[in-house]
Amino acid sequence: MIFRAARAVLSRVAEAAAVLLVLASLVFFAMRLLPGDPAALILGDQSEEAERALLRAKLGLDQPLWLQYAHFLRGLATLDLGESLRRPGVAAMARVGAALGPTSELAALAVLFGAILGVGAALLASGPWLGERRRVVDRVLVAVAATPLLAFAPVVTYGLAARLRVVPLPGDPDAGFAGLAFASALLGIPLAAQVGRVGRAALADVGRAQFMGVARAKGATNFRVWVVHALPPSAGPIVTVIATQLGALLGGAVVLERLFERAGLGSLMLEAYASRDLPVLEGAVVASGALFVLTQGLAALAHAAMDPRVRA
Amino acid sequence: MKGRLLRLLPLALLVVFASAVCVSASRAPDRLVLADAFCAPTLARPLGCGEAGVDLTSLLGHAILRGALLAVVVALVGFAIGTPLGAASAMMRGRFERAVERACDLVQAFPTFLLAFAVLSAVRAPSRLHLGVVFAITAWAPFARLALVQTRVLRDAAFVEAAYALGLGRAEVLFRHVLPNLLGVVAVQLGGTAAAIVVSEAALSFLGFGPRDGVSLGSVMDQGVASMLRAPHVLVAGSLSVFVTSASMLIAGRAAARD
Repeated sequence: MIFRAARAVLSRVAEAAAVLLVLASLVFFAMRLLPGDPAALILGDQSEEAERALLRAKLGLDQPLWLQYAHFLRGLATLDLGESLRRPGVAAMARVGAALGPTSELAALAVLFGAILGVGAALLASGPWLGERRRVVDRVLVAVAATPLLAFAPVVTYGLAARLRVVPLPGDPDAGFAGLAFASALLGIPLAAQVGRVGRAALADVGRAQFMGVARAKGATNFRVWVVHALPPSAGPIVTVIATQLGALLGGAVVLERLFERAGLGSLMLEAYASRDLPVLEGAVVASGALFVLTQGLAALAHAAMDPRVRA
Repeated sequence: MKGRLLRLLPLALLVVFASAVCVSASRAPDRLVLADAFCAPTLARPLGCGEAGVDLTSLLGHAILRGALLAVVVALVGFAIGTPLGAASAMMRGRFERAVERACDLVQAFPTFLLAFAVLSAVRAPSRLHLGVVFAITAWAPFARLALVQTRVLRDAAFVEAAYALGLGRAEVLFRHVLPNLLGVVAVQLGGTAAAIVVSEAALSFLGFGPRDGVSLGSVMDQGVASMLRAPHVLVAGSLSVFVTSASMLIAGRAAARD
């Protein structure tokens, strides 16, 4: 039993490590295979050859590729990828660490919004409260799930921020919590639609179970029957769908960071790409991957904690 | 049957409209009229103008056509690679089957956006071909998984056993008996995959990873966001185009569904 659990954990960790290694290697080789001299790109075409040679030596670009790769892997393991090229004197990992906070906040709040909104919609669509109007909730869920974030987020922002002025404008430095809450609500809406559809199906399954009849026969209120008895056994599929949507969430977070000009991993990656800041770009891509893998592992743990059938 | 074919209509209409815009040569998306920059919609220019006076109707027509073409081609490539791979692995059973299943797990657990980002950082100005290759890296996996699961059901069916008993080889059974029975089920995935590619292409070019010529739904969104306060019609037209293109792909994909 313990061995099996240990094996399951080990295989998850191995998978996570494999995803991170593939990602890190891809970004490493992609940057090196790029035609053209990175030193010339960073310093500009007017730079002196001596200056470029100095930078190449500093970046280790004059070494053989396998040695650079070994250095890069060691840097990843020790969380030290060297200095940022754009901001000399600042460690690349420090810039990545500073960006990790805002992105984590945005994503965590979006998952919270998405889960609450989605579970609420699933309950409304399954329970008896709305009567025949339940079907409207179903239709809304399908329609929202079919609408890409990129299609509605900018228009909603235009309406609420530029026209009605109820939320801060994009790029407002004093946006504060209202800005964060609005951005994560937008990011959470596609997630809510997926959670709602899956939760609705899971609740419909559970709704046919005998224990639901028992609960009703005991005279439990509708709220008690659906929230206390039906919801916990449906949590498995809901947590799973959140885990599968994390990749999309991460992509959405980058789009929203761009839209709202917010600091974060996405903005840092775009900036590092534009200015060819290799250490920062590599660090930011790997850090986003780690964030993704970590949250996926957490979702699997939460699923196992809630559903004894998965634990085995 | 008739009802199902009707689901192809939105996509067909969209393609016809976009092609009609593209062939009317007077409105090339590279024809700029600086004096008309961000002008509001008029009768002559039904959607108004964008940055540097580009005609939005023409720009969106070209962008929709190219985006839809890319999405359909990549989805079909994923379908053509994934379906035989998944089916063959389930027919072979054993180690090959497990390996393909693990590969699907790994690819589907991958944050596709980061993958695209890492690969595209190797080129300075990604072209549509680059984007297509990046999307194809992951597009095969859902098809392979669906085909694998479906073949597990079919491989023990009586008609498959009968085919073996008649002396057919494994490859013949696969191509003549198993694959034809899978195609309908697996094809349902085409619409969703194509819609996801339309949106990913738009998102990547919105972030600045699009084709240099700027003829992409994402670039229109980028213009729209930048000029949100001066010229909101650019943003509205771009958003609607992304929605309509992705939704018509989803609806067209339902044409293969048996319900």
